Amino acid sequence: MIFLLQDIINGVLLGTIYGLTALGLTLIFGVLKVINFAHGSLLMVGMYAAYWTVALSGVHPYIALIVVVPLMYLFGYFLQDIVIKPIFKAERDVREPVTVIIVTTGVWYILDNLALLVFGPQYRSLPANPLAGKMFQIGEIFISAPKFFGFIITILTAGGLFWFLQKTRIGRAIRATSLDRDAASLQGISPYKIFNVAFGIGVAIAGVAGVVFVPFYNVFPTVGVLFDIKAFIIVVLGGLGSILGAILGGIIVGLIESIGPQYMTSTWTEAIIYGLFLAVLFIKPSGMFGLKYDW
Amino acid sequence: MNLLEISNLTKNFGGLTAVQSFDLTIREGQILGLIGPNGAGKSTLFNCVAGVYPPTRGEILFNNDRINGQMPWDLCKKGLARTFQIVKPFSSKTVLYNVMVGSFSRVRSVSNAEEKAMDVLDSLNLSHKKDTLAGNLNIADRKRLEIARALATNPRLLLLDEVMAGLRPTEVDEMIDIIRQLRQKGITIFVIEHIMRAIMKLSDWIAVIHFGCKIAEGPPQQVASDTNVIKAYLGEEYAVS
Amino acid sequence: MKPASSNKISLALVAAAAFGLPLVMHSATYLHILILLYFYAYLTTSWNLVGGFAGVLPLGHSAFVGIGAYTSTILYLQYGISPWLGMIAGGILAVVAGLIIGFPTLKMRGAYFALCTIAFAEGLRVMVENIDKLGPFKLNGPRGLQIPPLDVGFVSFQFNSKVPYYYIILIMLVLVLILTHLIARSKLGYSLNAGGEEPEAAEALGVNVARCKLIAMVMSSFLTALAGTFYAQFTLFIYPKSVIGLDLSFEIAFIALIGGRGSIAGPVLGALLLRPLSDFTRIYFGDKLPGLHLVIFGLALVLVMIFQPRGIQEPLSRFYSKIVDRLGRKAIVEEA
Repeated sequence: MIFLLQDIINGVLLGTIYGLTALGLTLIFGVLKVINFAHGSLLMVGMYAAYWTVALSGVHPYIALIVVVPLMYLFGYFLQDIVIKPIFKAERDVREPVTVIIVTTGVWYILDNLALLVFGPQYRSLPANPLAGKMFQIGEIFISAPKFFGFIITILTAGGLFWFLQKTRIGRAIRATSLDRDAASLQGISPYKIFNVAFGIGVAIAGVAGVVFVPFYNVFPTVGVLFDIKAFIIVVLGGLGSILGAILGGIIVGLIESIGPQYMTSTWTEAIIYGLFLAVLFIKPSGMFGLKYDW
Repeated sequence: MNLLEISNLTKNFGGLTAVQSFDLTIREGQILGLIGPNGAGKSTLFNCVAGVYPPTRGEILFNNDRINGQMPWDLCKKGLARTFQIVKPFSSKTVLYNVMVGSFSRVRSVSNAEEKAMDVLDSLNLSHKKDTLAGNLNIADRKRLEIARALATNPRLLLLDEVMAGLRPTEVDEMIDIIRQLRQKGITIFVIEHIMRAIMKLSDWIAVIHFGCKIAEGPPQQVASDTNVIKAYLGEEYAVS
Repeated sequence: MKPASSNKISLALVAAAAFGLPLVMHSATYLHILILLYFYAYLTTSWNLVGGFAGVLPLGHSAFVGIGAYTSTILYLQYGISPWLGMIAGGILAVVAGLIIGFPTLKMRGAYFALCTIAFAEGLRVMVENIDKLGPFKLNGPRGLQIPPLDVGFVSFQFNSKVPYYYIILIMLVLVLILTHLIARSKLGYSLNAGGEEPEAAEALGVNVARCKLIAMVMSSFLTALAGTFYAQFTLFIYPKSVIGLDLSFEIAFIALIGGRGSIAGPVLGALLLRPLSDFTRIYFGDKLPGLHLVIFGLALVLVMIFQPRGIQEPLSRFYSKIVDRLGRKAIVEEA
């Protein structure tokens, strides 16, 4: 019984962090209406950024947020501006902007393999990791410290994002653009600028996720691939554009992943997650809390 | 005979009633015009008839056949064709290709489809542009192409959705001639239009819709002087010619 | 010289060259490279039926390759059935799979369709990697299946020299190109193109768009599975990542996209250009700069999509027409 409780707690903690990876994606998807297949790679970039910041300067991993987040924001902003915007403009009236999907996949290939070329294929973990193996003990239950802190950071980030979207001018502009691109531009909001900002924020959140993962997850060039598909599954599960959906969806996936292996091999767990994904797509494509988007 | 009979048609979208208990009959060979202020429910009515979505309540009989909720492609085979208010050409393909898609609803082979398409293009004076990419046409030609495509499906009833929108006065006159020619070929026409002089000139019969309900019906002159209609259009000018 | 007949002449010349090549060139290495080239050209052309004509973005087509490969291999290894028959069986299974996955997904928005195909292919790969035995059929999980090179002959689809393989895949490629050409100039082709570009307008013109897309999906999955059997018989070793991998799915899609989906020549041109490029970079830079060929791939994809979304076949065919035009005019001048 204790083991089940332990698994549940692990599942919730890890799942919430998965939700963090999906958070940036759901924002981009919700605002730009675009599937960004490069998201996993951006996460990988975030992880490497966090890794190198810590490895080169020796600061505590979470302090690295100060460097990584703005860096990732700028990266995302310019990626959208230079690579994706021209296609958006060309495909303005096209019903299904498939070309953007293709381009983001190209970006994925480029980023993953550049990382392979530049950093090499080896798995890296933080040297002198102050959080390595640290655990809290509550009764008979052990809680991994980095996962717990990651959980806290995720909740703060999600809350911050929610506040930003509701209370700030730019945040409201982002929400307006996601509801109706043309109406927003009639209000004096440049939709392309909003896209850049939204993309930047989405990537910055991926940077936060990178920092959160690095203390307990190895970094290697293709680490993004594992999270990419998982993030999409979570976004679909939770519903496009929904912050709460991303977190809850992540928790569901996290729970399946941590409880599942007790009753079946971990790779069947993977198959179940794919099955759940397909089931949601067939039955309720808008997910748990998704905005009604005409599929 | 009555080609199209709409009885008690109601269409709700969630809490919004777009069309309310609408009755309308179109006789074969007629040109029937549907007018009404913006947002009155004209396109919704069209879409229900054309199979885009089923009505919430009511009956639609086409050629004495109940067509509620049938799919647009089946309706096309039965002889009901429509154009779109915002034209939807296959922009990356030639004019000829566009019309051939329509012909294929009636014939199987490419050569027959091409022949049929050329006939239609000739009748609409578009054959000199058969190899132009549809995306490169001006708006007047695009509207013609829209009609040409629908014509290639051998319709008995043709639904024209604001086919004159965006046209210059001379182009409007040309379009009036085209529509009259279509009627001479034996096609019944159900037309939504905002350009009053066109619809007054063309229609044998006019129905007026306002907030989803029919508020007047009759020959053009009678409708034009109906007080309810004038009230609904308060502020709009129209000329009866 | 009229363009149509000059096209036919050049096609005939190319075909003659391709068929005649093994008579003059005996290098096994180059034959191997060409065989794989034709293999990819075949895969991209089959993919094009759904990805190009139907206008959707399938990113999980390797699932059909795997179904074909595994079906024929299992039937051969366990029951001694000739891989030629196994090929057909694989094709039929692939059709069933195509129907199951296509029926609910082809109605969805492009992006969601793409995700579904990925989920399906990856789900299949995960399952095959974890199952040793499915009922009486041995799948052997991640270790894959090996075909012992003992039974040489046409019926067992095994040859000692590369030449028969060369001709088989070349014939398959030519057939699938002819099929694509016939479909393009048929009612199905017109309907597919229309439905892919403006589905509402197509439906109003009598096209049952969803059904057409399903037909395209079914054809494509059948043809793709046939190539899976060929691959199994050519390499004599299949394992999940090699035939049901995401890499293969993506490579097929991207070659077709860069070449120009929706056209007949595009996928083949894409393969002709990108496969040698990828082989070259892998052979010469593989050790020192691993992954470089994928960076180049990704870069090509991004650049082509930004500047030539219809693929490189568009500028290439315009260039080709210009040359033919010039030659034609030169010929007329010289005659005069």
